[in-house]
Amino acid sequence: MAEILTRQFGPLEYDPAAVIEFPAGLPGFEAQRKFVLIERPSVAPILFLESLDSPELCFPAVPISAIDPQYELAMTPEDARLLGSDRLENVVCLAILTAAPEGPLTANLLAPVVIDPQSRRAVQAVRMDKRYSHRHSVGQEPACS
Amino acid sequence: MLVIRRRAGEAVLIGDGIEIEILECTHSQVKLGIRAPKQVTVLRKEIHLTGEQNRLAAGPLSAEGIERLLGGFRKV
Repeated sequence: MAEILTRQFGPLEYDPAAVIEFPAGLPGFEAQRKFVLIERPSVAPILFLESLDSPELCFPAVPISAIDPQYELAMTPEDARLLGSDRLENVVCLAILTAAPEGPLTANLLAPVVIDPQSRRAVQAVRMDKRYSHRHSVGQEPACS
Repeated sequence: MLVIRRRAGEAVLIGDGIEIEILECTHSQVKLGIRAPKQVTVLRKEIHLTGEQNRLAAGPLSAEGIERLLGGFRKV
């Protein structure tokens, strides 16, 4: 096991075999290549993509099926090449969540994070079409009390 | 917004170093050829929007932030 000191979780042990590699990083974070996926039962279904390159960086995400069970994945040939996989039926799809204090709770369905569990490679696959929004509204905001 | 009509094979220039040529038009798509200096970033707009959204989403999150996220997925 390896260990990293994260801002979100403090010291974190991880299995080097579980590291997920983004060959091109993510838009806006092109230099961030290595991540681990952190699952905590207490906050399910929310997951965290924790960067191993910048321990202060962590993206909250959720399986895309938790938002839209009918979601249809569409990847550009370039993203499919980066992922190195044609077996799209086996991939894991996550949506990155945004909960800015002053903004609504949204999920990026325009650009799902697509992970091949076999190769441990991943891309954030920005769609070519306008079928899904980068600010898809999630759930109901709690009413003020 | 400046609107210009162009046909395949025609081009527009932006500033000194940027040329956008219409390579091909079909009923649903336009194929563009873009010549620009190396230091000019050319991106599909969706990728730029996702970059902005990623910067907004990037944690670490406070306990309240995680609580807000969870609120979106609680069954009522």
